[in-house]
Amino acid sequence: MHTNTVVANTEVTNEAKVDEPEIQTNEDLPGDFAIWIFILAEMLVFGVLFIVYAFARAHQLEVFNASQLTLSRGLGTLNTIILITSSYFVVRSVAAIKVNNAKQSARWLLGAMALGAMFVVVKLWEFNQKFAAGITLETNDFYMYYLTLTSFHLMHVLMGMIILGCVVFKLNKGAYSAAEHFGVESGASFWHMVDLLWIVLFPLVYIIH
Amino acid sequence: MDKENNHFSTRIWLALVVLTILTYSIGEEVAAGKAVMLSVLVIALIKGQLIANYFMGLRHVSWLWRGIILGYFVVVGSMVAIAYLL
Repeated sequence: MHTNTVVANTEVTNEAKVDEPEIQTNEDLPGDFAIWIFILAEMLVFGVLFIVYAFARAHQLEVFNASQLTLSRGLGTLNTIILITSSYFVVRSVAAIKVNNAKQSARWLLGAMALGAMFVVVKLWEFNQKFAAGITLETNDFYMYYLTLTSFHLMHVLMGMIILGCVVFKLNKGAYSAAEHFGVESGASFWHMVDLLWIVLFPLVYIIH
Repeated sequence: MDKENNHFSTRIWLALVVLTILTYSIGEEVAAGKAVMLSVLVIALIKGQLIANYFMGLRHVSWLWRGIILGYFVVVGSMVAIAYLL
């Protein structure tokens, strides 16, 4: 009798264990599965570029160190704080739609987009300073990597702003709610990726020497 | 509960800002060297984990996704460190 109870309990536990992974996986992944594949692909491309930069640097230490000192670490830091704050706004936007507050959710996203625009302005100002000093892609390998990596990242910031803009548009049309906000989470995940990439790019190109 | 979550996110944001300022100070104040390189990479790893787990919300998801992001930072960071030490 006692043995039977134990066997029955074990079966229940096993069933629960079998069910668990299904609940844990894709259902909880914030946003669409496709956006996550896209995010991983983007991160992979940037990851390769980061590593290529690091090894190129190892071959031309003096050129890289001297040129890197001409970058404004202050502006790089400012842009990092801008992006981190915009990511935080996006977190608040997702939190707002989860309690069915579409208006508030859209407002936080507009704030994040405004910060994205600030990032773009700071970056363009930084580029302008470099161009005014006569620096181009051909000046040396450091500037080639610096300009390529940061403008490639900048394109992702612009793409992210367009995505967030689309989400705001749909939020205003009442397309999202506490029950259905996959689109908001997908846009949010993409924006966080843009932030995540900058978290690596900033110390790599501006700080480590 | 929502308020609690929002306060928590605010604290994560604050931690990220502090770590960013720390990276800046290390770049400005400390003479270049292995210690700078390693500490800045470790800070980037911590920031990446904070963003992935708390901002992206991966802490609620299967460990595989968290592992991928952590693995990414470890692999890229290690390669950067190896290139630096060559």
